[in-house]
Amino acid sequence: MQNAINQLLDSANQIILGKPRQLRLALCCLLSRGHLLIEDMPGVGKTTLAHTLAKLLGLNYQRIQFTSDILPADILGASVFDAQNHVFKFHAGPIFNQMILADEINRSTPKAQSALLEAMEERQVTIEGNTYELPQPFFVIATQNPSHQIGTFPLPESQLDRFLMRLELGYPDHDAERALLTGQSRHNLIESLPVQLPSEHLMRMQQAVAQVYASPALLDYLQAIIAYTRESPDYHCGLSPRAGLALLTAAKAWAFMDRRDAVIPEDIQAVLAAVAGHRLRSGHSHSDAIVAPLLEKVAVH
Amino acid sequence: MSAEFNKSTLIFLLSSIGLIVFPHVYHLPVAILGFFFLLLGWRFIGIWKPGWLPSNWFVLLLTVLGIALLYSQHRSVFGRDPGTSLFVIGLALKLLEIKTERDIYLIIYLAFIVAASQFLYEQSILMGAYIMAVCCVLLAVLVCINSLRPQTLPALKTAAIVIAQAMPIAGVLFLLFPRVEAPRWMLFTEEPQTRSGLSDSMEPGSISSLGLSDELVFRVKFKGAIPPQAQRYWRGPVMTLTDGRQWTQSANRHFNRFLDQPEFTGTPYQYTLLMEPQDKPWVFALDMPAKYSSSLSLNANYQLISSEMPEKRAEYQVTSYPQYNTGYITKTEYQEATQLPGKPSGKINQLVRQLHGFDSPPETYIQQLLGYFRKENFYYTLTPPLMEDNPIETFLFDTRYGFCSHYAAAFVYLMRVAGIPSRIVTGYQGGELNKVGNFLEIRQAHAHAWTEVWLQDKGWVRFDPTEAIAPERIEQDINVDRQIASGVVTFVSPDTKTLAAFNWLKGVRQLWTSADYNWQRWIINYNSLSQLQLLASWGIQNIKVMLYWMIGLIGLITAVLSWFLLYRKQKATDRVLRLYNRFCKKLVHKGIIKNDNEGAKDFAERVKTQLPEQSEQIDQITAVFIKLRYGRGSNPEDLKRLHQLVSLFKA
Repeated sequence: MQNAINQLLDSANQIILGKPRQLRLALCCLLSRGHLLIEDMPGVGKTTLAHTLAKLLGLNYQRIQFTSDILPADILGASVFDAQNHVFKFHAGPIFNQMILADEINRSTPKAQSALLEAMEERQVTIEGNTYELPQPFFVIATQNPSHQIGTFPLPESQLDRFLMRLELGYPDHDAERALLTGQSRHNLIESLPVQLPSEHLMRMQQAVAQVYASPALLDYLQAIIAYTRESPDYHCGLSPRAGLALLTAAKAWAFMDRRDAVIPEDIQAVLAAVAGHRLRSGHSHSDAIVAPLLEKVAVH
Repeated sequence: MSAEFNKSTLIFLLSSIGLIVFPHVYHLPVAILGFFFLLLGWRFIGIWKPGWLPSNWFVLLLTVLGIALLYSQHRSVFGRDPGTSLFVIGLALKLLEIKTERDIYLIIYLAFIVAASQFLYEQSILMGAYIMAVCCVLLAVLVCINSLRPQTLPALKTAAIVIAQAMPIAGVLFLLFPRVEAPRWMLFTEEPQTRSGLSDSMEPGSISSLGLSDELVFRVKFKGAIPPQAQRYWRGPVMTLTDGRQWTQSANRHFNRFLDQPEFTGTPYQYTLLMEPQDKPWVFALDMPAKYSSSLSLNANYQLISSEMPEKRAEYQVTSYPQYNTGYITKTEYQEATQLPGKPSGKINQLVRQLHGFDSPPETYIQQLLGYFRKENFYYTLTPPLMEDNPIETFLFDTRYGFCSHYAAAFVYLMRVAGIPSRIVTGYQGGELNKVGNFLEIRQAHAHAWTEVWLQDKGWVRFDPTEAIAPERIEQDINVDRQIASGVVTFVSPDTKTLAAFNWLKGVRQLWTSADYNWQRWIINYNSLSQLQLLASWGIQNIKVMLYWMIGLIGLITAVLSWFLLYRKQKATDRVLRLYNRFCKKLVHKGIIKNDNEGAKDFAERVKTQLPEQSEQIDQITAVFIKLRYGRGSNPEDLKRLHQLVSLFKA
């Protein structure tokens, strides 16, 4: 199974140049059934990343562009009167897809944001008393602009917590940028991508990830990290129990991708910035800097 | 130069030294302490302004000044006070030249000596606790100096643990170390301090001033039953001579009687007296002492006099009989016991005549007089009005408000007018029972004056005129707390319900005094004699066996402590981790140090770049370690394998 993962990542690396770590983390997030938040400047390839993953995984893909006047119904769907049959008929919104790219989520009002976030959490939508299941697998990649930009409604901490990981893409390095400038259009490349990992495989992998073993010694380290965030004056609020679970799940997925059946401290260290960064200090990007004291000061054993 | 030391360590050190010298405020001359605290303050400023510290030649000048000061204050360099002053001055001067770490160690050792010197002055529990706390701070300074990142609270905690661990060893040394008594000439002489207490003369108001003091005078622990309240007369100086106002002791009291011992009857009371420090060598025995410690002697007035220094707490064993007959009276005694300052006035004579003083046997007259006190309007008060001239007559006929001394003086005066030999006995009456330690506490407020009358065939017989006025003073205990608070004499009566909080406070005070009593009894008074007795009761007869015991016990305690420490360490890290740590230690020789935050896999990658030829071994060790520590199922073979791999690994 891990071969398929590596092939998928290789293909993705052909499209998104110079970002292997971010791609690996994005896939890790997917394997842990989590949702992904990408925070960066416009134009660094957020949409391309989402599109590439959807294509490689053969998932139904829908992009929702969030604007300041978007309404919950534009996301979830609405009941429309059918004049022929004289009944209300539910028209599913764009959320009824396997992979959603919620673009510039922080440009919309909190009301629209919460409609999406609730659906993410429940994996179902209730409209006018009827509950509609969302397709499986269901994966949301939301992007947001740095919150200091004009016309943004920053997501509150409680809603940031719904995202398993937050990634920053950053500018490509010199060589990657040159390759990008000289190469084909990304759009065409994506169109020609084959499906590398069918969704049945993905779901089987997701189940396998849950089976990865975490030993007491590993949990000691995990708890030491959580305890440090709660006690240290560096952090204004510590990691929640949900954050602890998220960290463990992500670490398990990381271990799985590394062909291991048990989590080791390096797995936690690898996913820590992505999982804990936005939970520890919501207003700041640079997750690596946020978790640096944790990595430095908490002893592995 | 001292900038290399951590500022907070220096502040910590200087403050603890200030704390150590502080109790000497009570003992050492102001000039010496002033010199010390001046230099200490100077050193404090020097922490922030190193340039202000004195240069070498100036320190030399200060040294000369310090020695001159020492000599001017004590006129000697030998003895307790000059010795302590010398250490204090030396400590202050050494503070000014902290240049290397060694200087700090030297200062700390000096400070320990100064701390120990406090015990030459005071040996109370509180001082013991204070010195212990201060030693803890000193040890914490040592911990700070030797740690990379000095932190006050963890250092204090470590120091406290060190002290707690040293306690059992100190206890064994205290019990078993041979006690060498210092020869007499080495004992320190002390200047007497003025203390309140009974004096060797009595004026009408002199005892009532003591009534307001709850200062402890002595404690008594009985072997067996405690005598009833009405028999607890603790005999002090006897006042025989009077000028009408002041009563003084007989000059002949030092002539030991060539009389026989008094005849004792009844059940004896055996008890231990623990006298608080006093300025007079008087020991207050229960009326009437028959047997007593060899350091005591009985004077002609049956008062116990100590030959030991009264400046220290002292312990005496005494046996007393409540019933006694002192036998006959000498001529001198008779003369003194009937001495009057002048001819009694007509009023007095008339009163004596009215009470049949001249025409009836003494017993009848005594009863008449006591009855007179009881029936007439006499009042017992702690704050009687001033009676300047002729106090006895003023008291008898005008004011009629008086304390025990007024009644005793009036009674004896009226006896002597009738020609009956009598005298005043001062001392203490009663005592508060400490229920915790089951001993009596006698305080200054228990001071009392009563009388003795010499009767044919009975000898000196005790009469207490106060009993006629205020029987509850004798039968019940004085309520010391309320008396001191309000100046009103009240008594603790068994049937009145007192406030619970008051009882609780009393309980706490009794608990404290009991602890203090036992401290004195078992810690301070533990000398070579009591050590021998204690050891003999354990079957240890000579010093050799004692030393074996001491070495054996200390060895045992050390073994237990070290086993405890080692065992704890073993528990904290499991075997897998210990094997892996051994692997890491081998790599340390190569200069490759594993970071605490580094996982085994990352570390292996790093090591491999430095030791490429051993990559295989490193990978194996790491893989087995990860399997054992983080893997799902691990078996004993894996552990054995790790053990082998680590043993074979050579860095």
